[in-house]
Amino acid sequence: MIRVAFALAQREFTRFIRQPQRVVGTVAQPILFWLFLGSGFSSSFRAPGMEHISYLEYFYPGVLLMMMLFASIFSSITIIEDRDAGFLQSVLVAPVSRMAIVLGKVFGGTAIALVQTLIFTVAAPFLGLSLNAGSLVLLLGAYVLASMGFAAMGFFFAWPMRSSSGFHAIMMVFLMPLWMLSGALFPIERVPGWLHVLMNINPVAHALVLLRTPFYMTAGQAFADQRYQIALAVTVVWTAACLLGSMARVQKRDKGAALR
Amino acid sequence: MIEISHLTHIYPGSRKSPPRTAIDDLSLSIETGEFCILSGPNGSGKSTLFRILCGMALPSAGTIRIGGRDLFAEPAEARAQMAVVFQSPAVDKYLSVAENLRLHAALYGLKGGDYAARLEEAIGWTDLKDRLADKVETLSGGLARQVELAKCLLTRPAILLLDEPTTGLDPNSRRNFVEALHKIQRDRKMTVLMTSHIFSEAEDADRVAIMKDGRLLALDSPQALRAQLGHEMVVLQSRHATLLRTRIATDLGLKTRQYGDELRLEETSNGDSLPILEKLLSRYRGEIDSIAIKQPALEDVFIHLTGKTGDSEDEQLETLTR
Repeated sequence: MIRVAFALAQREFTRFIRQPQRVVGTVAQPILFWLFLGSGFSSSFRAPGMEHISYLEYFYPGVLLMMMLFASIFSSITIIEDRDAGFLQSVLVAPVSRMAIVLGKVFGGTAIALVQTLIFTVAAPFLGLSLNAGSLVLLLGAYVLASMGFAAMGFFFAWPMRSSSGFHAIMMVFLMPLWMLSGALFPIERVPGWLHVLMNINPVAHALVLLRTPFYMTAGQAFADQRYQIALAVTVVWTAACLLGSMARVQKRDKGAALR
Repeated sequence: MIEISHLTHIYPGSRKSPPRTAIDDLSLSIETGEFCILSGPNGSGKSTLFRILCGMALPSAGTIRIGGRDLFAEPAEARAQMAVVFQSPAVDKYLSVAENLRLHAALYGLKGGDYAARLEEAIGWTDLKDRLADKVETLSGGLARQVELAKCLLTRPAILLLDEPTTGLDPNSRRNFVEALHKIQRDRKMTVLMTSHIFSEAEDADRVAIMKDGRLLALDSPQALRAQLGHEMVVLQSRHATLLRTRIATDLGLKTRQYGDELRLEETSNGDSLPILEKLLSRYRGEIDSIAIKQPALEDVFIHLTGKTGDSEDEQLETLTR
């Protein structure tokens, strides 16, 4: 199963590399977002309890999360393209585990997200953020887990879609708000009550905790921190649920109506 | 090799549309090593049957056995014997020919030296030897189809299913593809089931099945099907076909069949055609646009059985204008 998944993921990655516009776009776009928004809000931003942090620094893990979101969206759109082009049928007919089909896309999307986030990690020292070896491992683990979660969620929504325009609607009203309310743009404290509730139940907010913590804590401190533990548990459950849900969707076949 | 018995498929209705029966108690048996063409007008249930055969849909009732294995009870074992060529290209055009083949091999668990040997064997059937490193998008339509054939051959299937594989190919590429297919089928003793609208492709088949409204109308060799129509027929075209038809019936006592503005005397025994043609021409010259004696082709059998003209011609036209 893993071998098949890797073969499919390798295809995703090869396709990505062969479309240079896509590579440039997906790397440059979040960086532009980060520089423009980060610099623009810097003077007016004072987060409670984080007064010494510039907005550029506050927004940094949020941009990492955005990269994963966009990588997941792009890889989910390729599901719809594969179905349109016909490629998907031959994969479905092959005697392979349905989970391998899901993991193929998810690993592919994760690999693409990793390339982008790893490049972007180079910016951390310039913000005065330092990572020791333990934190770095923690951060890389968070990259993989959160990217997989996003990619699996994208898969789950994109699978039944027949047009990429339909998926754009899902992306704008569902996936983007998940990111906006994750604490990527503004902290969860001191928002109106209803927003606080929404942000608390948003699973993506927990992925952001996993991304932000390694910059400010050692691995040992992080694992001892209750907030981190909860975030890790929620993200693992959310990723697993999306993977299993996606597999169930792939397994589903059209069934003829019963005879009367 | 493929035994379909009492297969029924009903598409569930919704609030807007009632349930629709796509396949209606269909039984069909295809022998080992047989080359069978499945034809029928659009909406006859061919595509649904094809989807069920590849395991992409489950029918309402009935069974299918593939090489003795129940397709619904043991899908993995049944599917392992088959390879499928779909109507829409199932190759990734951004990848090279070799990359596409390697990916397909990985899906079927082929690796290492085994894969290398199979690759050489599969490529041997095609004209792709010098194009392995090229991206599929740079290949012509005919060669791109051959990539799919090579993919299928990699897994050494006992059964090859093809869904209108020559759609979109020019007549030359189409002929090459079908010829290659026949050669492979004979040499490997594969069982081939192929849906097609193009009757020139069906002439070399062992048997032709014609479906309409989810039922099997005919299943026989092309020769036997043609013989159903007698050996000759008179075909005439007229702008007033309906009117002319009643006049021919009352004046001459001849029974004709009407397809649009075309009238056919299909049950003409040998030698009678020419006198009939002369008689028709002398009486109704003004109303007749064209008249001819035809040897029935498979297409005429199709028209006779399904009562449809134009369908296959539309398809041909579509093929040419694409």
